[in-house]
Amino acid sequence: MPPDLLSRFWNRWMVPLGHRLRERPRVQILLLCFVLILAIGVIDYGAGLAISLSPLYAGPIALAAWFLGAETAFALVLFSIAQWLLGEWLAGQTLWLPPLVNATLRTIFYAFYVVALSRLSRLQLSLEALAEKRALLLSQETAERERLEREMLHIAEREQRRIGQDLHDGLCQHLTGTALVSQVLTERLRQAGNDDAEKAQRLVDLVEEAIVLARGMAKGLYPVELRADGLMQALEEFAANTSELFGITCRFVCHSPVLVDASPTAMHLYRIAQEGVCNAIKHGRATEVTILLEEAESELRLVISDNGGGMARASRDKGLGLRIMADRAKMVGGSFQVGPAPSRGTRLICLVPQVAMHV
Amino acid sequence: MSEARKTGVFVVDDHPLVRDSLAMLINQQEDMRVCGEAEDMASALRGFAQAAPDIAIVDLSLKEGSGLELIKHLKARAPAVQVVVLSMHDEKLYAERCIRAGARGYVMKRESSKRIVAAIREVCGGRLFLSQQAASLFAERFVGARLGLTETPLENLSDRELQVFGMIGQGMPTRDIAGSLNVSVKTVQAYCARIKQKLHIESATELLREAVRWHDQQNAN
Repeated sequence: MPPDLLSRFWNRWMVPLGHRLRERPRVQILLLCFVLILAIGVIDYGAGLAISLSPLYAGPIALAAWFLGAETAFALVLFSIAQWLLGEWLAGQTLWLPPLVNATLRTIFYAFYVVALSRLSRLQLSLEALAEKRALLLSQETAERERLEREMLHIAEREQRRIGQDLHDGLCQHLTGTALVSQVLTERLRQAGNDDAEKAQRLVDLVEEAIVLARGMAKGLYPVELRADGLMQALEEFAANTSELFGITCRFVCHSPVLVDASPTAMHLYRIAQEGVCNAIKHGRATEVTILLEEAESELRLVISDNGGGMARASRDKGLGLRIMADRAKMVGGSFQVGPAPSRGTRLICLVPQVAMHV
Repeated sequence: MSEARKTGVFVVDDHPLVRDSLAMLINQQEDMRVCGEAEDMASALRGFAQAAPDIAIVDLSLKEGSGLELIKHLKARAPAVQVVVLSMHDEKLYAERCIRAGARGYVMKRESSKRIVAAIREVCGGRLFLSQQAASLFAERFVGARLGLTETPLENLSDRELQVFGMIGQGMPTRDIAGSLNVSVKTVQAYCARIKQKLHIESATELLREAVRWHDQQNAN
């Protein structure tokens, strides 16, 4: 389609040319317009009276209106018309009135022409500036949103850790005390031959079950112990628990000890593995999942591969999980990729630079 | 039973409710009494000197200082005093370290009410007190260590493998081992794979544990 072709030509050549011209000094453009008008005048004079090349003046005038503003362009209009009149009489024009009327009409026409073009130019400039401002705002907003997301993750992590520690160090201890007091009561009742001793014994059992429950919760909230081999240990336990809980084969493969001193890194890697394995089981219906943790020359590699249905089963829910995993990797300066495994299923690869492993 | 013949128990725990109820339970027994309490390492060491107990019950996580350190200090000052660890932490992970530090018993808090009194009696009677599970894990490791680390396998390790094993035991990360041996990380991983195979070790976690143990033994000798 011609209009389409024209607009493509315009965008491809004229817009970049315009941008380049705007960067030149105004004097240069003014000089260019001046030279063009002079050249048209000379050629017009050479062509004689029969042929009028005066419409060609529209070119340099448009250039001036677009880049230099209405006032300068109008001055050039007057100059070109004077030049044309001079040319007419020099070429042997004998009449006075018709060229003057023509000149007046042209001046009026060019006046409109110059004003319209210069306004259009200003409009375009302001539009461009607006678009740029919007783009800047948008990128700032995106950066801010990403920062907030990271912050949120960080806060969630910290709060989980805090609640986990409170459960472990506060509630569990309190329950231990309660169980011990109940035991005292049980023994006293038993010594007194009271039938309620059995009930008191039941109380001890219940409180002790509560300790186990609360400890399990604490463990879920705060799974990685603050030791260099904490991550290895936690992943090994996680793999064993997952195998047992879901009746699948979840293996933890670690060729040589991988020591991670930096606890945020250990925590994020653990959560990535946890999310990855859950996705494999829930969405991919995998029956075999392997968690590989190894040290390469300059980075740490965490690879989670499964034999499940792969990415086709991905849902919106999983999409969020993937994004959080990627965010976690980014937070410790690492990278995160997800894709199909070589044979079947899905493979997640998280690479973390050496520096993030140690404090 | 007269006060003097009762077993004197010293309780170190940073949680007051646990301390109080534990004292209540112990004082209720005919053959034992609480002779002192403390909530951190410094006050424990002070109180310990005055109370001269027969046995101490120590929590692993204290307000200040660690229970493990406290056990070592106690054993250094009064070797005759027995120590039982009472902790929230999993026995499988910590019991071995505590026993190596000088404790004679380990009781998890989730089962403390029924077992702590029995633990005190057993340990005072000169026996170790561990859960069935931890005891068998222990025995297996001991036997495994005998078979594994003295009879054949350690001799089967090449010089390089032994060197790597020792470095793992010092807690060196794989990359540092590779760096100090001037080989690639891949090569160290290959060494680890062979060490695991020769020592019949399944996981890297276990490899680390064995290596640390061997390193400690070497240092002790």
